[in-house]
Amino acid sequence: MSTPEADHSRDPCPIVILNDFGGAFAMGAIGGCIWHGIKGFRNSPYGERYSGAINAVKARAPVVGGNFGVWGGLFSFYDCGLRAVRKREDAWNAILAGFLVGGSLAIRGGKRHIFNSAVTCACVLGVFEGVGMMFSRYMAWANKPVAMPVPDEQQQTPLAA
Amino acid sequence: MWFSGKSDESGSTPQNGEILRKEQGIPKKEENVQDILNTVDFEPEKLHPLAGLNKDIEYLDLDDEKLSTMEGSGNPILATRGWGDDLCYGAGTVYVLGLGFGGLRGFDEGLKSLPQPKVDPLTNKLRPVPFKLKLNTILNQVTKFGPHAGNTAGVLGIMYNIINSSFDHYRGKHDDWNSLASGFLSGALYKSTSGLKAMGISSILMTGVAASWCGLKRFVAHKQAASRFEN
Repeated sequence: MSTPEADHSRDPCPIVILNDFGGAFAMGAIGGCIWHGIKGFRNSPYGERYSGAINAVKARAPVVGGNFGVWGGLFSFYDCGLRAVRKREDAWNAILAGFLVGGSLAIRGGKRHIFNSAVTCACVLGVFEGVGMMFSRYMAWANKPVAMPVPDEQQQTPLAA
Repeated sequence: MWFSGKSDESGSTPQNGEILRKEQGIPKKEENVQDILNTVDFEPEKLHPLAGLNKDIEYLDLDDEKLSTMEGSGNPILATRGWGDDLCYGAGTVYVLGLGFGGLRGFDEGLKSLPQPKVDPLTNKLRPVPFKLKLNTILNQVTKFGPHAGNTAGVLGIMYNIINSSFDHYRGKHDDWNSLASGFLSGALYKSTSGLKAMGISSILMTGVAASWCGLKRFVAHKQAASRFEN
């Protein structure tokens, strides 16, 4: 089956889950260092600003990394699972994977919470996929092939008249 | 004409094939499409000799896809394309392992700290603990230990891989000393706010972990070489 939307720049499926776990964790942890470093610095009293920043980073950056990592890894896990089950790669994979991730992460909050969180995640992923599709269509439109000008019509004035 | 779809019905000018047959004296015989197709050679390299179609499959040779060519950076377990792959796979593997083992430890702790059935003051019997309460106790412990171990391991993995890749970059090659030194430094950095003793302990532990990782890589490479030799 041809899957023209398949992303060939990424690793094949089962192993890419680990890559996504690590990538998302690293992104969250490094971003959390910056975020909580600044926040801890600003929220500390004068004289303890650097130690406050370091303490905030130590306490919170790994947690941010963990949240990101679990989200990204679970998403990749469900995405791979849906690819294997549906045998195709399209935007619905991502949306369904988002639905499942949202549900899984809220699994301890009761039915209502699970459903709300799943739908929210699916909507967010739907917006992502929609924006991605619009962007790729715009790129295709902007780089569309242009027809060659027909040479033998009398449009050009001869250079030496 | 061939493009108008009409056949040339003038009759006075015979078709080219007729002329050829008359000149060469070949008798006209029944021909079908299969016969004609059999006479044509559809070898792609003959049809288009300049396109180089007689080669094997050629893969797109993109710069991003190239494996790392640094000396000594060959990883027998998983090929790597550079520091980004090292970081992502390293942190991801270590994080998932930490999450799993931490979760198991939390499961164990949860089983140990299950709520005990209490004596009902009215009936003087043991009141059974509801299943939801037991499940909640275990899940609380799992979600307490699992993410903590995973986060710790993941942060250590990120530090190790960033320092390791920096060493590789500056030295231009990778060897076990790079691994050991980055293990030592990442352990020291991880406990850098807890005093020299804690730093020393965690450095030694991380150096040991890095050494066992190097040993594992060597062991797997040795096994692979041995199996290749046997085949």
